[in-house]
Amino acid sequence: MSPDKIRADYSVILDMVAPGSRVLDVGCGDGALLQLLARERAAKGRGVELSQTGVNACVAKGLSVVQGDADRDLAAYPDNAFDYVILSKTIQAVRRPGDVLKELLRVGERGIVSLPNFGHWRMRLSLVSRGRMPVTTALPAAWHETENVHLCTVRDFAELAGALGLRVERAVPITNGEPGAPFARTLWRANWFAEEAVFLLNRA
Amino acid sequence: MCWAAAWARPGPPRPPPDGAPYGLRFPVITVADMVRAQAMLIEALGIKDLFCVIGGSIGGMQALQWAAAYPAKVFACVPIATAARHSAQNIAFYEVGRQAIMADPDWRGGEYHASEVRPDKGLAVARMAAHITYLSEAGLRRKFDRGLQQRDGFSFGFNADFQVESYLRHQGQSFVDRFDANAYLYITRAIDYFDLAQDYGGSLAQAFKESATRFCVFSFSSDWHYPPFDNKAIARALVSAGCEVSYVEVETDKGHDAFLLEEPVFLQGLTGFIDAAAAARGLALKVPRG
Repeated sequence: MSPDKIRADYSVILDMVAPGSRVLDVGCGDGALLQLLARERAAKGRGVELSQTGVNACVAKGLSVVQGDADRDLAAYPDNAFDYVILSKTIQAVRRPGDVLKELLRVGERGIVSLPNFGHWRMRLSLVSRGRMPVTTALPAAWHETENVHLCTVRDFAELAGALGLRVERAVPITNGEPGAPFARTLWRANWFAEEAVFLLNRA
Repeated sequence: MCWAAAWARPGPPRPPPDGAPYGLRFPVITVADMVRAQAMLIEALGIKDLFCVIGGSIGGMQALQWAAAYPAKVFACVPIATAARHSAQNIAFYEVGRQAIMADPDWRGGEYHASEVRPDKGLAVARMAAHITYLSEAGLRRKFDRGLQQRDGFSFGFNADFQVESYLRHQGQSFVDRFDANAYLYITRAIDYFDLAQDYGGSLAQAFKESATRFCVFSFSSDWHYPPFDNKAIARALVSAGCEVSYVEVETDKGHDAFLLEEPVFLQGLTGFIDAAAAARGLALKVPRG
């Protein structure tokens, strides 16, 4: 582990996972979150990752990771194989977010989804004032270069989860790399003031 | 523990009790038979279990068979560039090879060991056909393209004008020095018959149910002998059986042969997996890196 501060959504996710759980991290990158969960929560983790470098890094760490993608490779997992299935800042990059979410809550008893909030006031202001797709520190790629094909707002996501019959057990906004957001006592306000959000979902 | 695919040495096999060479009297064997023999060997040697069973191609099939048949004896398993069932296309290519051998008059119905001749021409053609499936179109283009052996153009005859022809002929000819024609028939047949799921009610996942073995499956993007989807099918079955499994797909133009070549991403992944497995097993394994 690098001595760097833990990524904000990771520390929120860590807080949501019960000790000794079975966890699947979809889009697990270099396995940093899985390692964190193993160390701090004695979690039995597995991963799915698209990139070669990510998969190799995971394998070298002794993690079990399948090279594949969220859209196609969750089908092989049996129902309820995991206590939690995690999508950390991945849902905006999948082809069919609704289907992936359904799979998430089939394979896992609970789902944890972290995402950048496109409804944050800075995004809105940028779009209104400049009339261009926002480029921010959280979403630094230009519209034609980004892998984020399905960006959404916090409210959009909550609505999709509801439409799929999922229940939001907890929702944690994140601002300036810390849990919480000003005025974010309601979803409507979090939609303005959260830069990111982490949702803990279950089957309603 | 590792083994290579090509272990059939030339020369007459040990004769049966009646003293005459086996020829085609030897029973057709399967991958499961090979693994059973290996298991008997390690038992005879007093080895209780294996830290890691690794194999590519037919070796990968054996590794899978090991993990399925003797799960308690296999701590880690690495199937590389392989399949849990041999495809129709591969059976077709193998059949071409066998027909080439059997069409060689020197094969003599499999009784060539009783004579001074060997079906070298047929065996060489079999190897040439098979070797094409170990390469890739992109790899062939990169290595040879339409390059000629002689700079002054076509010979307008049937000599090896193209570099790729000369390369294939060389592959075929060097193969006959180290491989026995009948062994080629038997081994290709064993691979044809391999379909691991068949022994487990048609479900590959069933073959690995309750297995505590940790797996790492490697495939190569341009391998059309055992393409990535064959390897991924293994990984998916392991996933659905609830096994600990990693699956790595290495980007390369070197085709099936990549698993025998210096392929940094592959070697890095493999080394990482073995090191991590060794640590999990409590083995102080130091892998020299250079």
